[in-house]
Amino acid sequence: MSASSLRYFLLLPLVLAAGCERHQGADEPPKVVVVPDGPVPGPKDLLKSVVRISATQQSWNQAQPWEKLSPGKRRSLGAIVAGNQVLTTAEMAVDATYIELESPDGKRLATGKVIAVDYEANLALLGVESEADLKFFEGTEPLEIAARPKPGDTLDIVQVEENGTPLVTTGGIQGIDVVSNFLPGQFFLTYEVKASMQSAANSFSLPVLRDGKLAGILTSYDAKDQLSDVISTDLVERFVREASDGDYAGFPALGISTSRTEDINFRAWLKLPEEKGGLYVSTVRVGSAAEKAGLKKGDVIVNIDGHEIDRLGYFEDSHYGRLYWSHLVRGAKSSGDKIAMDVIRDGQPLKVEAVLDRRDEKDQLVPAYTFGKAPTYLVKGGLVFQELTRPLLEAFGEEWQSRAPLNLLDVYENPQKYEARAHRIVFLAGVIATPATVGYEPLRNLIVTKVNGQEIKDMKSLIEAFDKGGSDGMHAIEFADEKFTVHLDEAVSTAVDEQLIQRGLAPLSRAEE
Amino acid sequence: MLARSLALVALFIAGPALAQTKTPPIPETPAGAPSDIYRSVVRIEAAVQVPDYGTPWNSGRFGGGIGTGFLIGKNKFLTNAHVVSNERRLLITVHGSPRKYPARVKFIAHDCDLAMLEVEDFTDFEKFPVLSLGDVPELESQVRVIGYPIGGERLSVTRGVVSRIDFSAYSHSRADQHLIVQIDAAINPGNSGGPVLQEGKVVGVAFQGLRQADNTGYIIPTPVVRRFLKDVEDGSYDHYVDLAVSTFPLHNPAMRKALKLPDNGLGVLVTDVSPTGACEGILKPGDVLLTIDGHEIDSAGQILLGGEKVDLNEVVERKFAGDKVKLRWLSQGTWNDQEVTLKPLPAARMYAIQYEKKPRYIVFAGLVFQPLDTNLFASVKFDDVNVRRLYSDYLPKGIFTERQDIVLLTRVESDPINSQVGDFAGRAVDKINGVTVKSLKHANELLNAASPPEFHVIELFGAPRPVIIPGNAVAAANERVKKTYAIERLSNLND
Repeated sequence: MSASSLRYFLLLPLVLAAGCERHQGADEPPKVVVVPDGPVPGPKDLLKSVVRISATQQSWNQAQPWEKLSPGKRRSLGAIVAGNQVLTTAEMAVDATYIELESPDGKRLATGKVIAVDYEANLALLGVESEADLKFFEGTEPLEIAARPKPGDTLDIVQVEENGTPLVTTGGIQGIDVVSNFLPGQFFLTYEVKASMQSAANSFSLPVLRDGKLAGILTSYDAKDQLSDVISTDLVERFVREASDGDYAGFPALGISTSRTEDINFRAWLKLPEEKGGLYVSTVRVGSAAEKAGLKKGDVIVNIDGHEIDRLGYFEDSHYGRLYWSHLVRGAKSSGDKIAMDVIRDGQPLKVEAVLDRRDEKDQLVPAYTFGKAPTYLVKGGLVFQELTRPLLEAFGEEWQSRAPLNLLDVYENPQKYEARAHRIVFLAGVIATPATVGYEPLRNLIVTKVNGQEIKDMKSLIEAFDKGGSDGMHAIEFADEKFTVHLDEAVSTAVDEQLIQRGLAPLSRAEE
Repeated sequence: MLARSLALVALFIAGPALAQTKTPPIPETPAGAPSDIYRSVVRIEAAVQVPDYGTPWNSGRFGGGIGTGFLIGKNKFLTNAHVVSNERRLLITVHGSPRKYPARVKFIAHDCDLAMLEVEDFTDFEKFPVLSLGDVPELESQVRVIGYPIGGERLSVTRGVVSRIDFSAYSHSRADQHLIVQIDAAINPGNSGGPVLQEGKVVGVAFQGLRQADNTGYIIPTPVVRRFLKDVEDGSYDHYVDLAVSTFPLHNPAMRKALKLPDNGLGVLVTDVSPTGACEGILKPGDVLLTIDGHEIDSAGQILLGGEKVDLNEVVERKFAGDKVKLRWLSQGTWNDQEVTLKPLPAARMYAIQYEKKPRYIVFAGLVFQPLDTNLFASVKFDDVNVRRLYSDYLPKGIFTERQDIVLLTRVESDPINSQVGDFAGRAVDKINGVTVKSLKHANELLNAASPPEFHVIELFGAPRPVIIPGNAVAAANERVKKTYAIERLSNLND
């Protein structure tokens, strides 16, 4: 009893705290650093092209998946683009329950809606909820997309003060690299801009201009180093172009993980010629574009689309200079596009052509993010079942990578061991003490393999297996690591379920279709 | 200063209880007028050398400590294993005498934290009284703890009441559970190994306290002590034997109904049977254990033994390797009765801290390989999920039948030959030159084959690529590493 309720008890405050943090972050921006060459009042015309966005965001409680956490608020400045649309970061659209657009002078308001969002690239395109709201855009001037800047060029970061005065901070592009600015492991072309900005009452999702045209979206600002990350013009251009019709496919993937080849012993073993670079293929994801193209673990990629790949995985981009190889896949390509690779396999050169496709997070065994999706679960007689996701693992606290249960972490780290048997990992997350769960209180975090003899492949199949029922009015639940069967009396657990509904736990299940 | 005032407080609390006791009165000035028994309670001074699992070729840390022991027979001093673990020199002093007698360990049992010592010359002890063993003290009865705890040089006596009798963890090995008696007298460092007396007889050996609670002490009761003494009668200490079965309580009515058990609160579910354990091939998961040596097992896995509810393992606890235990169980509706021959479960020692061992290791071209065990886990932090999984699955999943050791790449001592592989430290070795690594010795054979391959290929669990070491450069690298890092011996393959 104590063990399982303890988990809920521990989880709850942590998750709540995370929610609060975000809220405070929006209200209490970093301190203003007074430095020369700071922000200057911008032209009034600028106000016709930007819009204040305030989003109410509420995420689900991973520990008690039937309910939501307390909502938070987040504000930002969006850029108006063609077609009465507003570009901002995906962070603004995360679990948004209500989005409001407001003109900088506060005269016009409209309810916003998400037209398209790319959580990986951290971009979102907003529109207005109704036809009537379209007049919000009357008198506005959409921004054109700028030409791509080069390292050393200056960019103008736009802010709007509380009183409606536009502020422009000019900063130089100090570096250009392929980094992750929102989700871990999602790398995209980003400008690093040095500028001493003023803290504003909104979060750091700001339009960035070049010669009065939209050159990027600022996603974060480090007041100490006066450095900010700006999503590149390439990505903004591509996202706005592909997303404006509301039918957005997302960035493609090749489906490999790689390793550098600067180790001379490793190179000698791989029989790599001295003049070549090379990117070692560590894993090839099952079903990926790379696998379909015949790429194998142990191959060394030396050239992609005519660009030599060096030992650290970089190539020479004609416009930007040295960039990480993944930009060749995720920079300008779309699903269905081809890439040609020169590969060295067992010392022999080889040509491989891959047709890129999209790696959809919802097709992953353990989805890395679940924004906008309510967590799936089933409560049966007090046993709480959930599907494994990364947000759920993260709910074990900041040090979840060592604190989360080892069997669940193993699935996250080594999904290939489990993929053949299931579409999702369903596990018994914990036990609510009820008359049906007497003696089961210590059970938690156990991966479910079968219920009533049926293989469990996801939440849907779990619910079906319970609906089908077991023999003699008894449900039988089997686990992956524990070699015993847990039983639930159908009559007792149904009565318990009704009590749970009366006590506010409703609905008792949720599954993806 | 602080320690002394703490000790005074402890005595003060014990004071008011004196009036109600039936035990012999304590002399008003114990230090000045030693009772006979005090002479047989000795102070043990241990100089120890604790191996360093982080840098296994180094000597380790030299240190020492004080404990207590007592005479239980001719040249037989009983104390705790943890007082004398990893000892390099032992000295015994008698209450009220400055003389130090050199002593040595005769038998040591780390799984129940007991050891027997002998002095080189017993002549001076001949006339000392020998303490005799009593029974498990009753709840609420009073006991005296005698020893040499911190806070002063001389003998100290405290009193307490028996507050709990339980089957609980012995922290010395981190992996063993036996009968334990909890008293409300504080047991402080130095008390360890001292006798706990009731009506002139030893009812336990003081051995551990609680960090988060004052005035809570734990003692090893006499059934555990007697078992140890009996075990060593043949001249060596064998390990505890184990049923090697995991159980789950059968409280749930639906569970009982599904297993067709009456609602009588009896029977416990078998959830796992350890490979190579005593019950392998006899019990299987899903069976319901009903009796052990005729004692009914309740649904929480407890039996009634000598008027006390104790864990069913208590029956096995008192037996030795080769002894039999009678089990009755229900397997898919069928009754079974069978005698099971008990034996130790060596693979379970993976989860116990080891003492008196030299850390095993190989240094190869600057790569340091060590077998995974609890000693290593206790001194080096491993975050890698694969390593943690191999450790936790070692016994239950029978990994030990394939890999006697889980070999880890624990460190990389920088050298030109390994300049780009430092990040690989902390991972477990799967294969060397294409062969699954079964033990540290096996790894050593694979790495030092008679004719070295052009490249050594070391595959690690979860690593993005193999570690490659050119065969013909190893000898020179070994020489450099040996010199640069002052590693006298490049390997130690035996504990």
